[in-house]
Amino acid sequence: LRYVLSTLSWIGPFAIVAALWQGIAMLGVVDPTFFPGPATVLAATADLLGSREIFVNLGASLLNCFFGLVLGFAIGVPLGVAMALSPMADSFFGPIVKATYSLPKAALIPLFILWFGVGGLTNILAIMLTALLPIVIYTYHGVLGVPQIFIWSAKSLGTPRVKLLGRIIIPAASHSILTGIRIALGFSFIITIAAEMIVSNFGIGKLMFLYGESGAYQYMFAAVLILVVIAYLADVGFVALSNYILRWQGPID
Amino acid sequence: MSMLKTAGRQLLALYPLLLIAVAWEIAARMGLVRALFLPAFSIVIQQLGTLTLNGELFPPLMVSLYRTAAGLIIAFAVGLLIGFFSARNRFVRWLFNPLVAVGLPAPKIALIPIFTLWFGIDHMSKIMLVFITTVFPFIVSAAAGARTVPTSQIWAARAMGTSELALLHRIVLPASLPSLMSGIRVAVPIALLTTFTTEMVAGGGLGGALVLAQRYFETPTVYAYLLVMLVCGYVIDIGLLRLRRRVLRWHEG
Repeated sequence: LRYVLSTLSWIGPFAIVAALWQGIAMLGVVDPTFFPGPATVLAATADLLGSREIFVNLGASLLNCFFGLVLGFAIGVPLGVAMALSPMADSFFGPIVKATYSLPKAALIPLFILWFGVGGLTNILAIMLTALLPIVIYTYHGVLGVPQIFIWSAKSLGTPRVKLLGRIIIPAASHSILTGIRIALGFSFIITIAAEMIVSNFGIGKLMFLYGESGAYQYMFAAVLILVVIAYLADVGFVALSNYILRWQGPID
Repeated sequence: MSMLKTAGRQLLALYPLLLIAVAWEIAARMGLVRALFLPAFSIVIQQLGTLTLNGELFPPLMVSLYRTAAGLIIAFAVGLLIGFFSARNRFVRWLFNPLVAVGLPAPKIALIPIFTLWFGIDHMSKIMLVFITTVFPFIVSAAAGARTVPTSQIWAARAMGTSELALLHRIVLPASLPSLMSGIRVAVPIALLTTFTTEMVAGGGLGGALVLAQRYFETPTVYAYLLVMLVCGYVIDIGLLRLRRRVLRWHEG
């Protein structure tokens, strides 16, 4: 019962927002075509969820997002570990990471389109690049933060150097690495949609834009709503996964 | 002398960037890649010089910076208020906690078509989008900062007759400055990313100028604008670090 109550109290604020929204829509202060009420949007959402269109596009977007993220992870973690362990790697990649960190990666999309054409490859590369930097930085700081005592004691107990990485360093840094991936996950959603809105021929971002341009505004709102829910579920799911991986430590949040 | 030495060392630390520039120049000069895809680095710099001298660079740059700054300032003010009050008041916390939990990871960039519909294609839609993307990190960091204030300090201030409002800016604000500064450092790159992306989709500013240049295949201009964006983010980040050191001198010293 306590669980039900806490869920209800958690939903409360959303109900208030929805009620306000519906109120404004019904008052008619704004044109209802531009400002469809939650009832209209929910109906459109149900309608969209019944169609094939949304799943095909959403699937394509999420697949791109996933591939980009996995690539970013596969490159980012080794790079971050190398930078933390080797001063030479640090002095080479450090300035590059620093200089590119603040660049909005979405700005690279026009260039990528020039190089790789419109479509999947361009989007995946842009997502990969965006996901890469937070993962590198958090892995780097995570590995640097591994207490030297762990390494010394492992060495004194006869752990060979090769096994040090997999047995001590990565597990001890995993909390930080997972935080980096969580941030990368959020960024990769943004870039996925941004890339599709800038130039693309498929995907949820493109679909949203098409609905907007053809004046089907309630569907545009519905697509945004679906996306927000998915992004939230992905975040919650990832935190749950992190906590499962780190069940030998304390929970992340 | 020692200043010269540190300056020299700092320059030396940038050697990877120089190396990349040199490799880029050679690859382009030798014709390994088509100039349309990758013009020589010197040509890009030259183009950047031309754009600076004939003043073509400044209007879009100013527009982008204005939008970023305006959105950030509004988000900061609103985020501060919500964050402080949700740390001090149970009802506010109940209302905003779930909204922030969903709003923070949501890809707000998906709101571009909606905001364009509501606020037009000029400044307003971009400012509002920067606001909505950065207000959540500000709320979180303000609330986290306000929670670090020891209750005994608040009691002490109250006992000496500090009013509720004065309490906020005398005790809570200074105590949460470290957390707020971290929040700003998180929010600024997001704000820049949002501004440039929105501009690439809906026109205007540096992002719009970049997309336009790409459409006319003026590749050197595209790279020049990219460099400007990169420098923008970098310079602002360094400025924030300086500001943090100055503002928090009493904290870390």
